[in-house]
Amino acid sequence: MERLKIRWIIFAGLLLVVVVSYLIDFRFGSRPSPQVQKCYDYIESLPDSAVVMISFDHEASSLPEIQPIALALLRHAFRKDIKIIGLSLFAEGTAIGYRLLNKVAGEYGKHYGQDYVFLGFKPQYISAILGLGESIRDVFPEDYLGRSLDSLPFMDNIISYEQVAMVISIADGDRTVHWIEYGNARYGQEIMAGLTAAMITSYDPYLASGQLFAVVGGLKGAAEYESLLGQPGKGGRGMLAQTSAHIYVIILIIIGNIIYFRNRSRQGRG
Amino acid sequence: MKIVNYLIYILLVLPGSLLARDDAAGAESGWFNPDTWPTLIISVISILVVAYTIIAARRGKAVKLRAIPGLKAVEEAVGRATEMGAPILYTPGYGGDIQRPTTIASMNILSSVAEKVAEYDCRLIYPTHDPVIMAVAQEVVREGYTRIGYPDRFRPDDIFYISSSQFGYAAAVDGIISRDRPASIFLLGTFEAESLILAETGNSIGAIQIAGTDSTIQLAFFIVACDYTLVGEELFAASGYLSQNPSILSSVKAQDILKLIIALFVIVAVIWATVDPLSSWWRY
Amino acid sequence: MATRLPLAICFIFGLVMFLQYFSGHPLARAAYNHILDWWQIIFAFTLLVGVAAFIKSSLRKTQVKKDAPYALIALAGLILMPLLAVIDGTDIDSPFLWAFENMLAPLQATVFSLLAFFVASASFRGFRARSVPAAILLGTALVVLVGRVPLAESISELFPKVTFWIQNYPSMAARRAILIGIGLGSMTTALRVILGIERTYLSGE
Repeated sequence: MERLKIRWIIFAGLLLVVVVSYLIDFRFGSRPSPQVQKCYDYIESLPDSAVVMISFDHEASSLPEIQPIALALLRHAFRKDIKIIGLSLFAEGTAIGYRLLNKVAGEYGKHYGQDYVFLGFKPQYISAILGLGESIRDVFPEDYLGRSLDSLPFMDNIISYEQVAMVISIADGDRTVHWIEYGNARYGQEIMAGLTAAMITSYDPYLASGQLFAVVGGLKGAAEYESLLGQPGKGGRGMLAQTSAHIYVIILIIIGNIIYFRNRSRQGRG
Repeated sequence: MKIVNYLIYILLVLPGSLLARDDAAGAESGWFNPDTWPTLIISVISILVVAYTIIAARRGKAVKLRAIPGLKAVEEAVGRATEMGAPILYTPGYGGDIQRPTTIASMNILSSVAEKVAEYDCRLIYPTHDPVIMAVAQEVVREGYTRIGYPDRFRPDDIFYISSSQFGYAAAVDGIISRDRPASIFLLGTFEAESLILAETGNSIGAIQIAGTDSTIQLAFFIVACDYTLVGEELFAASGYLSQNPSILSSVKAQDILKLIIALFVIVAVIWATVDPLSSWWRY
Repeated sequence: MATRLPLAICFIFGLVMFLQYFSGHPLARAAYNHILDWWQIIFAFTLLVGVAAFIKSSLRKTQVKKDAPYALIALAGLILMPLLAVIDGTDIDSPFLWAFENMLAPLQATVFSLLAFFVASASFRGFRARSVPAAILLGTALVVLVGRVPLAESISELFPKVTFWIQNYPSMAARRAILIGIGLGSMTTALRVILGIERTYLSGE
């Protein structure tokens, strides 16, 4: 019962801290980290005829964290008049990706079929990633709306990864690992990622070895990218709440250790 | 005659139709792609080491594994559930398909757990996110019960598919943990973000938890929230550890030999790269 | 025959997929593409198996009083969502997309947000300086917790640099070691499956 009470106090405290912090509209000045700067510089360096493939490999659950990253990357790409091929290797990412692509495309006056296309969802992600390296049309004969790829002017000279400058995997799990292990290792395709904060550390070895080009990670990464773009968004908005939650956890850890040492010394005396 | 026709189709007609397909030809179109030499060398060395250890094991050379606390605790976990009259929950996590080696390793442990559960006449609940894993698990558990001599105790309805959605799966398993209150929970397989949600819920009901995964991130969560955690390749060694099958044990030994080779290579490469920073033979 | 045929199929296809990696020959690539297509087809059938299993399991749960409400809601979701997609499509402003964005997404996000609460309670319970190594781990965790937020730069320039160093050197070294072990374990398990030594996936043998 005691354990349950402590749990409820911890949960209530965290809820209070996050809600109050989020209600306060305050934005930190975010200096871009090297990884975010690298992502930004790469997209900035692409010519306007470049084609980028963006894969929405995430679920609806991570939308609050992933959406700011996706929006920042899409805005940057469309601002640079880069052509985008959208797809999803996660069933739930399909509707989300389609909605986001259309939303940002609308902001920049882009047209479906000419400036961007959404291929939809393909199950069996490994065979899809490998198949895209051979022929995009073999994996996706039609786009998400059921139109043949051959009927879209956008796809005229795009056959496989060879015509794609970069694949950006926006993920909340390990789909990006498969892009690296199959897309990059087999076909030499450059891979970039937009990831939730929890997943960043598991990709550090791939970043160090160069198999993963760069990462925009978590709400902080989104905030940094937004500051580089000069377009404030939900990434920056959420940083106070995230910072407060971190501080709350630190305080909890300190309190927990104080209680532990106090109990230990009482047992020692007893 | 039908079989002959089918063989002709497979051996002659199908290759012809395959050759007729368009494919984006790479730069290397010969039978052997020279860019894959390093991978081939490493693969051949690995296969030779595994083959050597298997042959040595079959010739009677014993392989001893150190004690793995998580696997030693399996019996304790099943016994606890029996004493409390509570079920056992076993779940392979959201992240893996049946083709994943981690899931296969989990199935090996499930087989052993199923035998013990059959023996003690305990209830084994196995929720999963993948219908193929569900089908395989049903067979594995059924075989386990049959091997021990209690096929009638097997309950196929306790092994079920929940949802292919990560948090639908997590919410359902959390609900099962909260309502059915298992005494022992096995979290063995590939887990993603749902790992801590499941482990903490199990911790909150006071269940004994044995976990193991191939994700380094989720391992950290399991170590904090679970009683026993199988770290890294301990999960893959479980098959040999529990069955004591010489062929399987020998492949665990092969893993250790290969790790030694990799470690030696890393040491040599680090020293060489420090002495000669411009060298690149060790890069791949 | 019941086990020999699957083992033979496993061996042949395992060998083919292994060997084709090293070949650039059109025949190898064509065979590889073909297998990829078959992989997709097999997966499609497993989805059918999943739906059938889910319906069967949910119908059974409707007979159990405490599980019945959840099972009924699950079945309603299973029927309604495809119905909405078939009737009105999945385009922007369709009822399907509305249900996805206003029901499924918030539900998913809610369950995911439990993680934050559980991290807090696990941290309170788990991060104790019981020994010297545990104290070092605790100190490192506190530094990284501070270093990962924008506030760190305001406190000290060192925080982000030390956090970066911790994540990219000692932490990565440990992670790489575990990854190498896992990679070797995966490789030997795969070899055992291909060679037919590991047969658990067949029928628990």
